[in-house]
Amino acid sequence: MANITKKVSWSSRADESGATGEGTPLLNGSEQPRHSRQLSEGRSIFQIGRLSTVDLEEEITSDEDSLRGRPKEIPHNEKLLSLKFESLDYDNIENQLFLEEERRMSYMGFRCLEISRWVVCGLIGFLTGLIACFIDIVVEELAGIKYQVVKQNIEKFTEAGGLSISLILWAVFNSAFVMVGAIIVAYFEPIAAGSGIPQIKCYLNGIKIPRVVRLKTLVVKVCGVICSVVGGLAVGKEGPMIHSGAVVAAGVSQGRSTSLKRDFKIFEYFRRDTEKRDFVSAGAAAGVSAAFGAPVGGVLFSLEEGASFWNQMLTWRIFFASMISTFTLNFFLSIYHNKPGDLSSPGLINFGRFESDVRNFLCVFIFCFSPLSCAGGILGALFNVLNYWLTIFRIRYVHRPCLQVMEAMLVAAVTATVSFTMIYFSNDCQPLGPEHNEEYPLQLFCADGEYNSMATAFFNTPERSVRSLFHNQPGSYNPLTLGLFTLTYFFLACWTYGLAVSAGVFIPSLLIGAAWGRLFGILLASITSNATVSIWADPGKYALIGAAAQLGGIVRMTLSLTVIMVEATGNVTYGLPIMLVLMTAKIVGDYFVEGLYDIHIKLQSVPFLHWEAPATSHWLTAREVMSSPVTCLNRIEKVGTIVDVLSNTSTNHNGFPVVVQVAGSDEPAKLCGLILRSQLIVLLKHKVFVELARSRLNQRKLQLKDFRDAYPRFPPIQSIHVSQDERECMMDLTEFMNPTPYTVPQETSLPRVFKLFRALGLRHLVVVDDQNRVIGLVTRKDLARYHLGKHGLEELQLAHT
Amino acid sequence: MSLHKHSCLLVLAVFNIYPAVFGDGVNLAVSDPADKPRQTSSLSPAVVVNPPPDPLFSLNLLSSLPEDPEISDYCSELLHIFGQLYVDYVTCLVPAARPVKVCQNCYSSFGSLKNIYTNISSDQEGPGNVSCRDSLLRSDRLMLVYLMYSNLVGIWSKSACDNCITEGGQSLTNDTLFFLTTHNQTLTCFEKYKEGNHSQLCTNCKSPYKDLNELYSGMEKNQTLCIDIEDAMNMTRRLWSKYYNCSFPREETVPVIAVSSFMLFLPIIFYLSSFLHSEQKKRKLIHPKRAKSYASLMNIQDKLS
Repeated sequence: MANITKKVSWSSRADESGATGEGTPLLNGSEQPRHSRQLSEGRSIFQIGRLSTVDLEEEITSDEDSLRGRPKEIPHNEKLLSLKFESLDYDNIENQLFLEEERRMSYMGFRCLEISRWVVCGLIGFLTGLIACFIDIVVEELAGIKYQVVKQNIEKFTEAGGLSISLILWAVFNSAFVMVGAIIVAYFEPIAAGSGIPQIKCYLNGIKIPRVVRLKTLVVKVCGVICSVVGGLAVGKEGPMIHSGAVVAAGVSQGRSTSLKRDFKIFEYFRRDTEKRDFVSAGAAAGVSAAFGAPVGGVLFSLEEGASFWNQMLTWRIFFASMISTFTLNFFLSIYHNKPGDLSSPGLINFGRFESDVRNFLCVFIFCFSPLSCAGGILGALFNVLNYWLTIFRIRYVHRPCLQVMEAMLVAAVTATVSFTMIYFSNDCQPLGPEHNEEYPLQLFCADGEYNSMATAFFNTPERSVRSLFHNQPGSYNPLTLGLFTLTYFFLACWTYGLAVSAGVFIPSLLIGAAWGRLFGILLASITSNATVSIWADPGKYALIGAAAQLGGIVRMTLSLTVIMVEATGNVTYGLPIMLVLMTAKIVGDYFVEGLYDIHIKLQSVPFLHWEAPATSHWLTAREVMSSPVTCLNRIEKVGTIVDVLSNTSTNHNGFPVVVQVAGSDEPAKLCGLILRSQLIVLLKHKVFVELARSRLNQRKLQLKDFRDAYPRFPPIQSIHVSQDERECMMDLTEFMNPTPYTVPQETSLPRVFKLFRALGLRHLVVVDDQNRVIGLVTRKDLARYHLGKHGLEELQLAHT
Repeated sequence: MSLHKHSCLLVLAVFNIYPAVFGDGVNLAVSDPADKPRQTSSLSPAVVVNPPPDPLFSLNLLSSLPEDPEISDYCSELLHIFGQLYVDYVTCLVPAARPVKVCQNCYSSFGSLKNIYTNISSDQEGPGNVSCRDSLLRSDRLMLVYLMYSNLVGIWSKSACDNCITEGGQSLTNDTLFFLTTHNQTLTCFEKYKEGNHSQLCTNCKSPYKDLNELYSGMEKNQTLCIDIEDAMNMTRRLWSKYYNCSFPREETVPVIAVSSFMLFLPIIFYLSSFLHSEQKKRKLIHPKRAKSYASLMNIQDKLS
């Protein structure tokens, strides 16, 4: 089977003319004669026969390199796996140090740990709420200033003439804000681009995305969101909240900041991937909860995305964090709105109150939910497909930071232009309402005392537009306005998502859906007779259903999205309609293309493990899946060998099976443990060599604390100096290695391996033969490369990105 | 308004303990038959619409009063005055409905109504050591006097007349008077030019109209608007823009189209140039180490054994 990959590698020149960029379909039991086979055979004997000897490794790679010729280059596409992503070490390393520490720890110690977990969760919720509050207030103030200035300008020029100047002013304002946002993202922290939900999804899936939970990312994210929302792009500030919450969680739980070089000497026990990831899921939940005022939805979001590492206590703690977060936001916003105690804004987006009288609505709904939700699914799929092509183009051609900044500015300017043109040519005038729902009513050419109703949709922050679509009186929009708005906003939102600015896609989707949902409601009311008008009235409800359908069609989340929508609506009665709509939209959409987040995860070449192995993969066994040969270390290994293995840049391995050679016999070495690169580096740094230990008896014993202190940024091997003498020393790994790594026999089927790997959150799974000899190692990338494509099982390729 | 709220709260509080104190069947029996017909007539100020039941209503009450041991003469006198003032106010309101002049015309009658109600609802005891509050306002489930009064208070507060009336309720505020004067000037101007071409009206009355508009927006910001002013302004605006057609024309379509098509053209250039000039990002493929094919593995085992 592995021949297929070889085909690509060895016959590179012949292959280039063919369809590059396409995944190579796995041919079932392919026995095609290939000229490469003859080449490989001789060497493979050589290789497998001397599996456990480490120094052979380099020889082989150099050998292979010469055979391969120059490395093959292909344009970026979705069927790649990037090398820069690694797994998190979720598995507990039960080495002797760990056991010792556990023995030393008293009963009280464990209780304190439990309590501090709760404290950390409370802090996460509180800080996330504060950040949400900060974003909301700053956006509101800045956008207020911007719209006031532009409005005054427009008013001035409506009278005096020269409206094109207002148009330019608006465009310049937008571009300026977006430029700031795009510069900080493109030049300082590219990982902060987008909504951050794909990245957090990956993190919860067990992938270490570089720099995703750094303080710098948080700062860039928050500022970037403010800039892009104020800059009038078709974006929302809700998605980035989830990322922000996750960063807060990762920072708070560690009790220190590596970026600021401050160590508060607290929560030291939590400095490992296992604990950190639990807290990150709490942070993501707190972010969702602050964004939508949906604490339960937040918990379910974490559950949906990180389901394999879950227990009741963790759920309970995450719920606590969510609750604290939404309450904090609510409390501080009520102070900001000068109504302390009036806790009426639990989330950044507020759908407003929906009355619970759904008698008529429910029966009407039965008749028209299917067209609405199908439309949601189809439009969502269209959105995703367009965005997919656009993203591919961006990755291939618009990859330089300066180009990205320019693109973002152009989008901002065009957004302003399109909005202005729509408002300018709109003839839809509505009288000003008594309660002033419209924050910045624009009169333009309307009669005095009336406002341009296109302007309520465009000349406003998207959150407000959504709310006015949900709640404005029937008749405050005419169908033509809504139709044009839907159309333009759809393309604008599609164009905007994926720019190098941090911004979410939730609100634009809701807005598009609300617009066409309302349109549907209006049309329905106009074609039905007057007698039943009360039944078909209230287009706001259709707007809600449309919004749910569109959002479901784009992001394809299920459980958590339903609960989020229900909670944001504040009315459980709408639960069933929303759920049915989301289900239908997902089914219809999945028929065409995947969800937007999954597309972006794929395009970033992330080795993402789904819930299940691909359906038709039982015939694949661990032997075909695994990487082989494996670089193994002896239990007592020469320092020089270790340094060489670690500094080999061509094979950036992370886990090394430790083998033991039975003394005095020529039997092959047997597996006795597994050790990680990070551990080896700490060992080298502290010079834990057998010879040194003998000479300096009073030397302090290495503890788990030393490993935690180095976490999470272990120094690279190049920064560790090992002298020539030291290279000759020996290192005893017995104490430090994980003595009981998970292993599978080589005949295990792929789904079995997959299940074990996914459920336990493994990083390395050793494949052994019946003699307990290491014959291969399964890592995340080995499993993630199989996926079910249109032509059956396909295999993704590894690439440098 | 605070008075109203206050009394409302009080009434509610007392109402809750009422059954315990006045829980004698007689009282309930007396008030019950009178309940039904009046509930309908007093829910909305429908009393106003059809005056015939009105004298009947007061007569009915008066005739039943002597039998009621709880009502003193003083209180029935108060009730009578209340009825008079009520009728006065309502009679004033109806003709002022369109165009709305409810604040200008009726503020004084509302003031007297308010005074008498304050008298009734005060807990100071009148002559004979009786407080009319309990006997008039809270003796029965319907609480008619309170209900009627609160209806009118509702109208008053909805029309926001307090904004146009001075503190004591004696006169209109200076702002309001000034606005009305300016408004009259504008209307006079409209009147003057309304014959013939409207474009002449648009140019000539622009400055008074503009002044009026600015005055109005200033008052809107200070929140000193009442329904009279709002309605007057609305009417004037409608006259100005709809009837006389003096809104701004849409006349600079060409520059707007030019600028926006230029803006829309930019991204096309951008994407084309980056497609043509930017070098395409290539990914270096890496060849994972794999066990050699199954067949070759078999070969190895064959050879090893």
